[in-house]
Amino acid sequence: MKTLEATKLADLAAALTAAGYRVIAPCQRGDQVHLECYQAGKTLRADVIPVNSAKDALFPRSEVIGRYRFEGNEFETVPVAPQAGKTVLLAVRPCDAAALAPLDAVFNWDYKDEFYNAHRDATTVVALACTAADDQCFCTSVGGSPDSTANADAVLRPADGGKRFILESLTDKGQAIAAAGQAVLTEGQAQADPPAQVAPAFDSAAVTAWAKDGFDSPLWKELSLACMGCGACAYTCPTCHCFDIQDEATRREGVRLRNWDACGFGLFTKHAGGHNPRHDQASRWRQRVMHKFAYFPERFEMLACTGCGRCGRLCGNGMSIREVCSQIEQAAQAGVK
Amino acid sequence: MVANINEIQSAAAALLNEGKVKLVLGYRVRGNDRVPAFVTQADQVGCLAYDSACTQNLAAYLRKGEVRSRMPLAVVARPEVMRSLMLLTAESQIAEGQVTVLAVDEQGFHGVLDLAGTAKLLNEQYARIAPDSSLMEQLAKIEAMTPQERSAFWSEQFEPCTRCYACRAACPGCFCERCIVEMNTPQWISTAAESHGNFAWHMIRAFHQAGRCVECGACQDACPQGIPLMLLNHFIAREVEREFDARSGYDPQAEPVIGSWKQDDKQEYIR
Repeated sequence: MKTLEATKLADLAAALTAAGYRVIAPCQRGDQVHLECYQAGKTLRADVIPVNSAKDALFPRSEVIGRYRFEGNEFETVPVAPQAGKTVLLAVRPCDAAALAPLDAVFNWDYKDEFYNAHRDATTVVALACTAADDQCFCTSVGGSPDSTANADAVLRPADGGKRFILESLTDKGQAIAAAGQAVLTEGQAQADPPAQVAPAFDSAAVTAWAKDGFDSPLWKELSLACMGCGACAYTCPTCHCFDIQDEATRREGVRLRNWDACGFGLFTKHAGGHNPRHDQASRWRQRVMHKFAYFPERFEMLACTGCGRCGRLCGNGMSIREVCSQIEQAAQAGVK
Repeated sequence: MVANINEIQSAAAALLNEGKVKLVLGYRVRGNDRVPAFVTQADQVGCLAYDSACTQNLAAYLRKGEVRSRMPLAVVARPEVMRSLMLLTAESQIAEGQVTVLAVDEQGFHGVLDLAGTAKLLNEQYARIAPDSSLMEQLAKIEAMTPQERSAFWSEQFEPCTRCYACRAACPGCFCERCIVEMNTPQWISTAAESHGNFAWHMIRAFHQAGRCVECGACQDACPQGIPLMLLNHFIAREVEREFDARSGYDPQAEPVIGSWKQDDKQEYIR
């Protein structure tokens, strides 16, 4: 089997960079760990779940999807091709890899999104099996597992008490990673460490069942009271994929941008005439939960939550999917509509 | 937990029982976290808690319709939150009678106050809140940089910004119904989450906080990407004090520094 010394993760990142990959990896940034583009000198951290998700690599936070020019009354559009370079998501958690399924589904549903798909086709996923979890992790409550290889092209499994990784290639793209990183990999034997124990947080089937008739529930008001309506949970969520289209122009030319957006913002559904069908935070939170646990299963037979726990780790007001779904499950058990 | 937490609870219960408030905004413990508590019944006050881990600025909820509709209300407020309430009074967002203060600091509960009483307490007890020493050290390092180094430093800091605007949502002073970053006729700030737009956003937000920021730290705490926003905020607050002898959140009748001028302002261009 192919193994990698734990201290050589950055060497693998460097080898893959040299082989022409854009390497997105967990890098130290201040006192946080961010999934960002590896550059020589950056410290890689496989021991901490990064604050942000990997979706930025496939669905960038801002992307130019069109250009235009105008001169007097003359107007012309300039086609823009996706700028998708060969990319590897290196040492992303199984919950980040799992998120590719809902993203693939939604960006290929009624319309095949050429930008997303170009990034997706150019991307190789090297997952990192989790041997530790924190109190916000809940992958096992939403159909995942800490050592899942779903959507991964290769997987790094911590071994020998964290001293090294076993690299398992699962697809041709994964084989290409093993080949490109050959110089830093070793052929040998190692004993994989046991996967993390992730205790179940809630029963997602109960949430989905309650949500079916829960649209008009008064519970949403109470559940959402502490939400300040910032978009931090959606922006760090690996599956949230709402976007806004903005045209930004100077006098003679402009770009059409696709920016991340969030259903938690009041402006998200506000109509030009002033009416807002989701007029309060309760209706916005209802949308957040319904989208992940009711509409997505109905349309794609999967949840749009992978249990990464980022929303719980970052929200100072305690408004996480884990907490809200746990409360919904309790309400369902108590017969609250 | 502060020693006299039961006094906060009984004060809250009395306010609710006497019908003086419809809601008490405070904190409660959930696991290792401190989360906001929205107490509407006197028999629920037992959940109210306070210690130094209660860092959210609850004054930010006063912009939320669901909370405003429950005025008059009471807020468990540490000195920075009290300062926010003074700012909101000065800027006509709240008025005497709408908000009662349950004054706390790390030592404990200091009584039930109206807004005028809060102003008095702030000026008597908390006139000087010393900024964090590590913040001052970092700021000194940045000030020693050349303009090019400083620009590179901030570019690096702003690079991870995704424009989620959590900084704005967590800030009690950011109560505009439509933020300048959402104006598009004309568009003042690029919405693109890249260097140019991110720089413009954070600079404009810092300018709009001049003489207004009470340095509670809520924006920096809310930022998922770890951007050191307090460096900007403290720098601006210090400049405002130096240039205009003004500190925000101490005078509920204060004229806003960025929205007023005086005949005797020392700048020539004002005359």
